[in-house]
Amino acid sequence: MSYYPSRTMSAMSISTARLTAATLAGRAVGAASRLARRGTGASIRGKVMLKIDPGALAKLLAGKRIAVVSGTNGKTTTTHFLAAALRTSLDPHAGGLVHNADGANLHHGLASALSQHPDAGIAILESDERVVGDVIKLGRPEVLVLLNFSRDQLDRHHEIKGLGRSWRTALTDAGSNGPIVVANADEPLVVWAAMAAKQVIWVDTAATWTQDSSQCPECDASLIRTQPDPTSGLGGDWYCSGCGLAQPKGDYRVESGTIIDRTQQVWDPQLSVPGVFNVSNAACALAAAELMGVEPRAALSGMRTVTSPAGRFATARFGNTTARLLLAKNPAGWAEALPLAQTQTVILAIDSAAADGRDVSWLWDVDYERLVGRSVIATGRRAQDLAVRLRYAGVDYRCVPDLAAALADHPEPVDVIATYTPFQRLRRMGRV
Amino acid sequence: MNNRFAGQRVEVVLIYQSLLGLYGDRGNATVLMKRLAWRGYDPVLTLVEPGDPLPDTGDVYLLGGGEDAAQVSAVRGLKADGGLYRAVERGAAILAVCAGYQILGNTFTVGYRDEVISGLGLLDVTTRRGPVRAVGEIISRWNGRSADDQWLTGFENHGGYTRLGAGVTPLASVEIGVGNCNDGTEGAVAGTVIGTYPHGPILARNPAFADHILELALGHELEPLVHPEITKLRRQRLARVRRSYARSR
Repeated sequence: MSYYPSRTMSAMSISTARLTAATLAGRAVGAASRLARRGTGASIRGKVMLKIDPGALAKLLAGKRIAVVSGTNGKTTTTHFLAAALRTSLDPHAGGLVHNADGANLHHGLASALSQHPDAGIAILESDERVVGDVIKLGRPEVLVLLNFSRDQLDRHHEIKGLGRSWRTALTDAGSNGPIVVANADEPLVVWAAMAAKQVIWVDTAATWTQDSSQCPECDASLIRTQPDPTSGLGGDWYCSGCGLAQPKGDYRVESGTIIDRTQQVWDPQLSVPGVFNVSNAACALAAAELMGVEPRAALSGMRTVTSPAGRFATARFGNTTARLLLAKNPAGWAEALPLAQTQTVILAIDSAAADGRDVSWLWDVDYERLVGRSVIATGRRAQDLAVRLRYAGVDYRCVPDLAAALADHPEPVDVIATYTPFQRLRRMGRV
Repeated sequence: MNNRFAGQRVEVVLIYQSLLGLYGDRGNATVLMKRLAWRGYDPVLTLVEPGDPLPDTGDVYLLGGGEDAAQVSAVRGLKADGGLYRAVERGAAILAVCAGYQILGNTFTVGYRDEVISGLGLLDVTTRRGPVRAVGEIISRWNGRSADDQWLTGFENHGGYTRLGAGVTPLASVEIGVGNCNDGTEGAVAGTVIGTYPHGPILARNPAFADHILELALGHELEPLVHPEITKLRRQRLARVRRSYARSR
């Protein structure tokens, strides 16, 4: 009698065995990382998995209905919207839904999230801008939502145009096997990338940030714009003075805080998260949800349950202080977050770890002048850079580099705007 | 404010922000405007976009960093306009950072095929793609300066490497970072025209350099301004960058 199987394992079962080993090893280090309070453990879990089985991501993606969301800002919230919309209409026999809800969006973050629900029939994934091409190739997503492009972490990305080109190439290569793209029609580089897709649903998001798209992505000529009007909520249009590339007509539109769907039905989104930009994100999620088979009324009812996606807009307690947490990672994000900060005292947390971008020159592209009249507390490892910026902006401030000290003892609620690294620390400190 | 030039109009011209405004370099204009206002001058900021004529009344002209295609458009616009040449002849101060620095030179390259583009020829420098992209904090020693003023701190991020010709002198010597082309020099100076790589923006992190630009433009010396937060930022940056550099050796 032999203890060993008489037949050699098939290639498929070896492959599955490796994925299982990788998943188990990843789960172990993820748990250890969580116990050590180093975060959710998602990234390290995924890293170990991909080390043991480099093919893990493709295997985990196989056989699922997949929607992917990417862009500089709004990925996490939009993905939460879309996941909530789909959960309202899930087929109970389809194996459920998996979602990288914590925002870990590189290869290992995706692998980690997928491995926790290997039987899920639907995957809603936010993807880092640099990973979109691989996800298209490995996962053959059904829907790809492309939100926006703006300057962000230029010490790593160098040029925004290169990212747009990588999306366009991946969509071209995928051809008829590629995803249907839901694309923000206000963003020239997104439009140029999306045009390579087999089919595009355009969303006129009434976006107001135009500072990162002055040249035509096709021919480099100057783009001509009609100015957006923030008071009426109408976005501007754009067209190229050279080749004639122009803003496509929106299948869905955002107008004065409402969403108009492709049947011209007007929806008052009544979201639980603040900001006009989140109405734009919701419009993109609505379009994606319809493509996945959820009608708008149900989709919106799901989206309204989203209150603090991955800690964004969450209210947390820090000792005696009640603080609302806002995330802003780049000038476009700050332009959205600053108007939301309404408290008399505002805490701004700046760091320059790798995830924040090591170059903080962008502080000078943010309109901190609008905080004149408020009391600002500058905190985080690069608080001193912010202090100089605020001095030149004529804003009253105190510099308190230690986060806990900056949050301590505020009798009135405070709004906090933080870059990525201090934002994650604040979430752990405030348990949100 | 005891300043016999109080009320004097000083015009700062920020050139093509939509093309050369990628790395916070508009902050250089913010800094100059405030340092003039704090001393009692009457500063005026003029924003010029492609297609608009450059004013012939500017005292300081600023150019910042940007992507390849933007550089090509900026050179085309500035050549067609001609105003920057007249400004240099008039003795106005020109500060050009990163991509702006490269386009003031004789030639530079863009794109994956390294296409050679003619620059404005206002600085005798030539830029070609370097072996590795220079990305990181940079500290250099400003030539001819002493004490704390001599340290220039900033963040460089450029793929092009710049070689200096006989018609310019280097602005500074590199202590940490790449600078022009890893040859120990940083930036270039010819008369009132200065090119340099670091963002930060450079004038926010180096107030003595900011005042130097203004003094070049105004033709007289300025009283020093003391801001503890800027002094502290400089001390912090220099110490942290030197420490992390020492650790990496």
